[in-house]
Amino acid sequence: MDERLCADTWTESSSPANELPKKVPPDHQPFTNFNLQQYQQKWEEDPSIQDYAMSIEPQFPEFNLPCETPSSVACNPSNQTKNEPLDASRIQDWDPRAMLNNLSFLEQKIHQLQDLVHLIVGRRTQVAARSDELVAQQQQLITADLTSIIVQLISTAGSLLPSLTQTLSSNGTPFISQLGQLSGVVFPSGPNLNGSVFPQNSKVSDQSNHVDLTGNCKTEQNCIEDELKDEDDADEGEHLSPGSYEILQLEKEEILAPHTHFCIICGKGFKRDANLRMHMRGHGDEYKTPAALAKPNKETNSEPMLIKRYSCPFAGCKRNKDHKKFQPLKTILCVKNHYKRTHCDKSYTCSRCNTKKFSVIADLKTHEKHCGRDKWLCSCGTTFSRKDKLFGHIALFQGHTPAIPLEEAKGSAAGSSDRGENSEETNKVELNLGTNFSCGSGDQNGNDAKGGVDDPPSFFSPLTFDTCNLGGFHEFPRPLFDDSETSFSFLMSGSCSYPRKTREESCSDKT
Amino acid sequence: MDSPPILSLLTEDLLVRVLANLSDDSDRKSFRSACRSFLRVDSLHRATIRILRPEFLHGLLRKYRAVEAIDLSVCPRIDDATVSVLFGGDAAAEWTRRLRRLVLSRAVGLGWAGLGMLVRACPGLEAVDVSYCCGFGDREAAALSCAGGLRELRLDKCLGVTDVGLAKVAVGCGRLERISLKWCLEITDLGIGLLANKCPDLKHLDISFTKVTSESLQAIGTLQKLEMLALAGCGLVDDIGLDNLGIGCPSLQVLDVSRCDKISSSGLISVIRGHSGLRQLYASYCFFELSTTLLYSLTELKNLKTISVDGAQVSGSSFHMICTNCKFLVEIGMSKCKGVTDTGLIQLASACPNLKILNLTCCDSITDAAISAITESCRNLSCLKAESCNLLTEKSLDVLGSRSLLLKDLDLTDCSGANDAGLNYLSECSELLCLKLGLCANISDKGLSYIASNCTMICELDLYRCTGIGDDGLAALSSGCKKLKRLNLSYCNEVTDRGLQFLGHLKELSDLELRGLVNITGTGLAALAAGCRRLSELDLKNCENINDSGFWALAYYSRNLRQINLSCCAISDVGLCMVMGNLTRLQDAKLVNLPNVSVQGLELALRACCVRLKKVKLLTYLAFHLSPEILNTLTARGCRVRWD
Repeated sequence: MDERLCADTWTESSSPANELPKKVPPDHQPFTNFNLQQYQQKWEEDPSIQDYAMSIEPQFPEFNLPCETPSSVACNPSNQTKNEPLDASRIQDWDPRAMLNNLSFLEQKIHQLQDLVHLIVGRRTQVAARSDELVAQQQQLITADLTSIIVQLISTAGSLLPSLTQTLSSNGTPFISQLGQLSGVVFPSGPNLNGSVFPQNSKVSDQSNHVDLTGNCKTEQNCIEDELKDEDDADEGEHLSPGSYEILQLEKEEILAPHTHFCIICGKGFKRDANLRMHMRGHGDEYKTPAALAKPNKETNSEPMLIKRYSCPFAGCKRNKDHKKFQPLKTILCVKNHYKRTHCDKSYTCSRCNTKKFSVIADLKTHEKHCGRDKWLCSCGTTFSRKDKLFGHIALFQGHTPAIPLEEAKGSAAGSSDRGENSEETNKVELNLGTNFSCGSGDQNGNDAKGGVDDPPSFFSPLTFDTCNLGGFHEFPRPLFDDSETSFSFLMSGSCSYPRKTREESCSDKT
Repeated sequence: MDSPPILSLLTEDLLVRVLANLSDDSDRKSFRSACRSFLRVDSLHRATIRILRPEFLHGLLRKYRAVEAIDLSVCPRIDDATVSVLFGGDAAAEWTRRLRRLVLSRAVGLGWAGLGMLVRACPGLEAVDVSYCCGFGDREAAALSCAGGLRELRLDKCLGVTDVGLAKVAVGCGRLERISLKWCLEITDLGIGLLANKCPDLKHLDISFTKVTSESLQAIGTLQKLEMLALAGCGLVDDIGLDNLGIGCPSLQVLDVSRCDKISSSGLISVIRGHSGLRQLYASYCFFELSTTLLYSLTELKNLKTISVDGAQVSGSSFHMICTNCKFLVEIGMSKCKGVTDTGLIQLASACPNLKILNLTCCDSITDAAISAITESCRNLSCLKAESCNLLTEKSLDVLGSRSLLLKDLDLTDCSGANDAGLNYLSECSELLCLKLGLCANISDKGLSYIASNCTMICELDLYRCTGIGDDGLAALSSGCKKLKRLNLSYCNEVTDRGLQFLGHLKELSDLELRGLVNITGTGLAALAAGCRRLSELDLKNCENINDSGFWALAYYSRNLRQINLSCCAISDVGLCMVMGNLTRLQDAKLVNLPNVSVQGLELALRACCVRLKKVKLLTYLAFHLSPEILNTLTARGCRVRWD
């Protein structure tokens, strides 16, 4: 009963109305465009996966819910105006310079938006010959981009109202505690947050970052502590019974938000607290003190910490606290990855195999590192990057044998048509990127030749046919086909329809 | 017509027994042409068949209802199409089901598709030999792996087979008992490990000349039933591997570690300690010296029959150790061993009375005394190799002829002691099958006639550079040694057309080397070709005076010819085209330095036979002059072109 009560309060406090403005905080995004600088500061102690996630994700802030975001965006402005007096925490005063910044940001964004729409228009005309699936995929990507820009636009525009920020600062509610995405209300007590949950310094995970923030602005924290006292008490009372740990549940929107740490002055978002701390130095000398720059969990804390565990917001999930056999998640990172992997669409498709899909971009990256080189294939379909692993697998299971790659198998014109398409696509991408054409096509050559057999003759250069008919040895046309490979792949430089392309382009835009 | 009474006594089961003892093809031929009932017995009980012309296979199989084994290794054109004609269709269904063994050695034209079809058509296959199909790879191995009942598989020199292919076979044919992976250079420890894991019934395993390491031996050690293991030339195997082998493979009887450069005596000792049942041990060219500890450990091998330590340094004490420890040796290999002396061999001979095979190649310090002692104590001696033992005189041949009456195989190459008188003594060994007298310049027609008149069983005779041999010797040979199959007359310059005419009477002759016989012409070759219809290998290199008439006759008569060496012959364009086009069984041709042949003529000749050739040797510069089509065709058919 108590549990349920608690859950209720959570859901209340973390209702979308509250969360949306936080997720896309007004004027916190002026520098999102320059995320790249931030990417480069890779922190040694972080797991590499996180690095990957960081470097790519911002480009698709809403990618996982392409259909949902527009609606949330629509209701955004109203929410903002309504809620900000209550929860948005602004310490900084209204600053005309910041406003100017915001305005130029707006301008930039509008240009971006224009470009995108242009792109869509251009695409429509090219797309005619493309398959429906590809078109849909592409549109999804563009919509995602569009959505993110619009959201940024709206939020920045909202922050331009000086009166609002004034009230915010006077209100004095610390913004950070909510930005920490723990749906603010549930904190048992402010000081408790200070870091002892994750004693390892090496783990600059989101939690400790959050804690760091609270530490940095103690006074505000105290305010909120007072305000939250009642709920905290209730919360603690509830938590006493189930176990020694406390359960926190993030909302879907928080989980999917690109940033977890925001600058209290300019609002720029960060994935890591350490990066935020580095950023804060630019805002004044008070942030350059060793204490301010220190890792928060080094601060001595007399009170014992409750161990925190996390619950997945998805009802019915085993990781959801209402599940009978609830298994809590250890960190926020776990929550994020779990949620994306289990409850989100797998929208990142591997460009090499075009079969494997991932919802966490880091997973895709990890896969892509090995994809293609996963040539050790078992008859059961499992692939291995190493031969000894495959042989270990075969030794274990009855009847499994190593599969021999298709390219060798298809001695004759039996090359499947979809294979041909795949190679076609990769070739196109390479051509469109204009660089290292040869690096990928080497792998694909085998496919090209086979795909070519089934393709309409118009794809062949006349030269190919000449060599075919030459000499009269019709029994052995195969080697002749091989010769024609290169010219064939050059002919494939048609218009682009490749899903990953947009991403790569945007990548190159930023550099 | 009534059958003679003697034949009525021979019931069918008796005839079958008689037949079972006839191993030679010509004997069987005589048997079945004796009378109708013999023919009936032969056709009803014939189990194996080796064919040269696959087009007759169906007809033959209708006659021979019991055939279980087919050997297609000498057919020039076994490819996917041929196989689909032979093994596909309803007509084949009946006999393919009873097929147990299939020899497809050197069937280079066959691909995985044909092999797969073949395997599907013959569900009862138990043994397949695809050795020396150099182009075979994993796909072919995968096709073979569909034969689930396979017990025996030879993949020697299937160069494309990797661990993946081997894994296919190992998983698909779990009941394998014998597998040979000699020269499969792509095989690694992983493949061998999986093979050992999946085929626990393995009894014979040959991984000679592969790149496996000691890790493989650990896996092989788990094979409880393994009896024979060949590791010859596995340069990466070391003592650690042998230690592992020492504690595994409880049934091991035969071990070959020849030419394993990394192993030492201690490794071999640990194997010997673990396997007192070892019967044959081959350790040629492993050790620089035979250590006393190794020889001492031989004491434990009560059943040791064969030991081969070629190339090692032996001492008097080594002989003593062998004599005291190995009483039951049947075969000893000591070729190129340093330190082999008369005293040592005399000791050995008295200690090992059962000795049958003795290899003393290049033990050049032994004399007649040693041979005398050996013949005295080892009455069962059947094979003696004494190449380059220059101190031997005719006395050795005397004792051999008087005592070793069971001698079948004698190698006296480069023994200056072999002379006419010696051959006269030797002719007492009437069981002699193989006699090698190469480089024995002291023998003449007279000596050869002694051999020819008494040793009528001889089927292999090597007279390489016996310059004293002339036409008269060949005349004696042709009248005496009717069973002669292989004859080497290279550089016996006295031989003329007349000699070849005599050779034409040897109906069984199949391999003939006539290199550098400048006195033979087209007339002689024509007579030879017309007479020796079974001729399958012919070397005419440097026979400069043979003109086209001889080659035309060859092209007309020698329809069974499989290999030919025409290098440096005066053959013309037309002659070459005739030979290559008409000899439909020709698979291997050496066509280097043909002064009268133009590039166009060679091209035409190759086109005429490109579907049949498995191997061809050409001059390097022709690679740029021959049309790419013909070269592509050759390679596509699996033919190996050797550029000289």
